[in-house]
Order: sequence, then structure tokens, then C-alpha cells
Amino acid sequence: MSGLSWRRVSAVLWKDLLDLRKNPALLATLAVLPAVLVAVPTLVVYSYVHSSEELALRTIAQHYEPNLPADANAVLFLVQKTVDEWFGLFLIMPVVVPMLISSHSVAGEKERRTLEPLLATPITSAELVLGKSLSALLPAFGVTLVAFAVLCVIVDLTAWPLAGRALLPNANWLFGILAISPLFSFFGNAVAVIISARVGDARLAQQLSGLFVLPLVGLAGLQLAGFVSAGPAYYGLLGGAVLLLDIGLLALSVRLLDRERLISRWS
Amino acid sequence: MSSASVEPRRAPAGSGVELVGLGKTFGSRTAVEGLTFEVRPGEVFGLLGPNGSGKTTTVRLLTGLLSASSGRARVCGVPIGVGSQELRRIVGLLTEQPGLYDRLSGAENLRFFIKVHELEERQAWPRARRYLERFGLAGREQEACGTYSKGMRQKLAIIRALLHEPRVLFLDEPTSGLDPEAAHTVRDAVAELASEGRTIILCSHNLAEVEQLCARVAVVKNRLLAVAPVPELRTRAFTLEVRLEGEASRFLPSLAGLPLPGPPTADQSSLRVPLSGEEQAPDVVSALVAAGARIYSAARAGRALEEVYLELVREKEALR
Repeated sequence: MSGLSWRRVSAVLWKDLLDLRKNPALLATLAVLPAVLVAVPTLVVYSYVHSSEELALRTIAQHYEPNLPADANAVLFLVQKTVDEWFGLFLIMPVVVPMLISSHSVAGEKERRTLEPLLATPITSAELVLGKSLSALLPAFGVTLVAFAVLCVIVDLTAWPLAGRALLPNANWLFGILAISPLFSFFGNAVAVIISARVGDARLAQQLSGLFVLPLVGLAGLQLAGFVSAGPAYYGLLGGAVLLLDIGLLALSVRLLDRERLISRWS
Repeated sequence: MSSASVEPRRAPAGSGVELVGLGKTFGSRTAVEGLTFEVRPGEVFGLLGPNGSGKTTTVRLLTGLLSASSGRARVCGVPIGVGSQELRRIVGLLTEQPGLYDRLSGAENLRFFIKVHELEERQAWPRARRYLERFGLAGREQEACGTYSKGMRQKLAIIRALLHEPRVLFLDEPTSGLDPEAAHTVRDAVAELASEGRTIILCSHNLAEVEQLCARVAVVKNRLLAVAPVPELRTRAFTLEVRLEGEASRFLPSLAGLPLPGPPTADQSSLRVPLSGEEQAPDVVSALVAAGARIYSAARAGRALEEVYLELVREKEALR
């Protein structure tokens, strides 16, 4: 067996990105989640900054931080808290975006009956999976970066009258976006590839893959409710756990995406 | 079809296919077993069989998409196997469904396969263009494949299978699901490819198509039932057509005691009696005369491949 051919990997990447570009329905779906994840914290920060209910806001702030000093700016504390904790929910994006793309591109090969002619070429299963994974991971990383950049600009503009400085990007977010979110994207992609290989129907694959986002939503909920304090150690731990999961999923996907298994199951 | 031509190519020596006891099982189910036959270089060979008879499995074995459970095979001297990239470089496959990327244009579909085959685009694209012209798709290659008719899709899929100039081309049900006009154009395309001297294995249950395109056929139903040139297969057994006085059907019972390979049929004053060999003809005539038939003529009738094929399949089922 010869080694990995990057030319074939890039061929799959080229074709899948071209296909994605020509799929307005999927592009629209991909745009909704980043828009929501940027709009919601912006609106929350806006409402804090422009609220006249200072006492009520102090009560909320003390729910999160009972030892909040009396002279501390409770509104700024809440804005800072919102910005910091939002990363937990923001992580849903790098997971879900590759899930949507991969489910569509991997299971879509079955629906369109395109897999057999493709596997009859010299392409290997590993090249196919790698090409497809890159075509999901690169857009996911791009969308995450763009959404983060937009979030930084809008939140900073919104919070500037109160904070008088830029709240984003900060070290935690930069670490999260550059180090943690790719690990989560890899996780989302691997889950979608494996499920797509089993079910072969893009919508069912998306729905089943979506179940794997629920634990992340639960964790983010615990954060927002104040039960979990998210900091560098928390995200480092979370990233480490996802890295281990990624390694396991990679091994599983290589086993499941064996050429003969694909043909027997999908054709 | 356009008259634009692609340089005729002759199949190189050793570009045949050889199967020895080839078999494939999926769990406890046997898809095919004991397939032994040879396809000669430059030959258009038909693989005939009903649905579920193992034709597609055989093609997948020979194109390296599935691994064999038993036996062995070589394509142009290359042993088959799922790990063999060498095998996949020398074979071309047209699947039953064209399997095109509908949002991509015809040209983009072809370019993708040029890249996957790692071909030099400067050489491969002009070749693709010549095929597009030849198959009447020139000028439509920038349109999305989702807008193509079934015939156009199938022709584009054939071009895709030819991009890397395969030494052996496998066509799995190339006209399945096509309307008569589209099927006709695809058959024309296959006939032209055959005229270049390419080794082609054509899977079909369309007997007329096989009869029209193939020199030899293998009839399979999970195992090999027969391999022969089409004319020989047709004459392997024959039908005696007897014209007699009056209603022919009343003489059918008189043939009941004869060991015929299939049931005789009557149509007004004619009887068609399948025979295993010429030596049975006098027995048929004697039985009819003994039953009081006045015979005007008894002649050997040509048999359609379909009759032979159905007979072989029925025999296989009777043996079960």
C-alpha cells in the first residue's frame, strides 16, 4: 500500500468545498448558529449597560459573587462575567458546524450514490476521510474565527461606554479559540463521520450527532447558573478530555471507514 | 453522437481477466461461488444473470471494491484485492447509478476525478473534452449535473470511467432505468468503445443488449451456469418447430412422456418443442404421428438468447 497522497486529499477537499459553496441551504444553516451566538451576548451586554435597575443588577451579581465589594461596579462585573462565561456556549459552534458539514458530505455520498465510483479510483479510505474532515474542519475554524472577531468588535463597542476599554479578546478567549475550539471541532467532525458511516442518511446523521452536543450545552448551563466556575484550568481539563475522546474517535473512524465495509454497507 | 474522434487504442497484450473459483460470502449468505472463466484481451464480454445473481458483486471483486472469500482472479495480470491501487489504476467502472455530484457541473465532476486519479490535467482535460464532443455533451459541460437528462448523466459517467484510459472497463447495467432513446445512445457509445479494442465486461439482464454488444457471455446465478459465445449458446439446445393440421394444442399430451428440457408450447397449428439435441427430433415426430397428427413440416427454429438464458436459470433452480 502506498503512502498518503496529498493530491487526492486536496481533490476531495476541493470538491467538497465547491459543493458546500453551491449549497445555499446548508450555508444558511451554517450562518444561523454564529449569528445567534454573537447576537445573544451582545444583547445581554447591551441590556446591562443601558439598564437603570442598578440595585437589581447588584443582587444578581451577588448571586454569582457573594463577596462582591460594596464599591465594585456590579454592572461591569456582570458584563465581564457574561463575556467570560459565554465561551462555554460559544464552543457549541466549533462542534456543530463541522457536524453539519460532515454529515452532509459523508452521508451525502451514500444518498447520491457517488461513493462507489469514487472508491473505484486509487483513493484510499484514509485519504477520503482526511479530505472530508478537512473540508468540514477548515470552514468550522474559519466561521469560528470570523464569529469571534465580530463578537469582539460588537461587544467592545457595546460595553465601551461602561468599561472604557476593550473586554475582548482576552487571554482566556484567545486560548479557547485557538487551542480548545479546534479540539472540539475535531470531536464534532469525528462524531459526524462515524455516525454518517453507520446510518448513511444526512439528516438522521445530523440529528444523531446533535445528541453529542447536549453534554456541552449542559456544562454551559451549569456555568451560566453559577454552579461551575470556568477558568483556564476548567477549559484546560475540558480540552484534555476532548483530546482523549478525539484520539479514540480517530481510531474508531479508521476502523469503521474501511473500504469494503463502506461498499457493503453503503451500496 | 459527434464524429469527433478519440485516438483508437488497442488493448495491450495481457489485458484480459482471469477468474479461478472466485467466490464471495457476506456472513452466511453466498453472493457468488466458484466463478471460473476468462475474458480475452479486447473482448466485449457479457455477464448475464437475474437480479441478485451476483453480477455486481463479481464486478466489485474484480475492481478491488470487495475482497474475495474464495478463489482468485487477475485483471491484466494484476491480482485482485481491496488494497490494490494498481488494480484500480487499470480498471474503469460505470456503476448502475451514475453517481454524479449534482450541484457540480459536468466539467467539475470530471476535473475531480482527474485530480483523484492524479492525472496531468494538461493531458487529461483535452482527452475529456474529446469524449465530451464524441458523446454529444460538448457545450453542456458547464451546466450543473442535476439538470442533465438520464442519458446525459450516464454518458458523463462513462466519460468519467474513461478519464484514466483504463485497460479494462466494467459496465454495470449501463442502460438500466433509461428510456429507449437514452438506452440507445448509451449502447451506441459502448459499441464505439468496443470498436477501439478495449476489454469490456458488460453486466446486464437485458438480453437483447448483451446479444447486440457481446461476443461471449457468462450466465451466472450465484454460480457459473454457462460461458460461451452468443451464437454457440443459442445453438447449444434448440427448438423444433412443427406445423401440423388442425389445432396443435391437442397434441401436447402426446409429448408428455418425452424427456424434453422444457415444456413444449402450441400456437394455433404450430408446436414449438425444446430439444436437448438433434437426436430427440425423430422421437418427437414419431410421438406426434402416433397420436394421429398430420405433419406438414418439422424444422429447427433459431432460439433467442433469452430462451437459453431462462432455461439455464430454470435448470439451476430445479437443481436446488
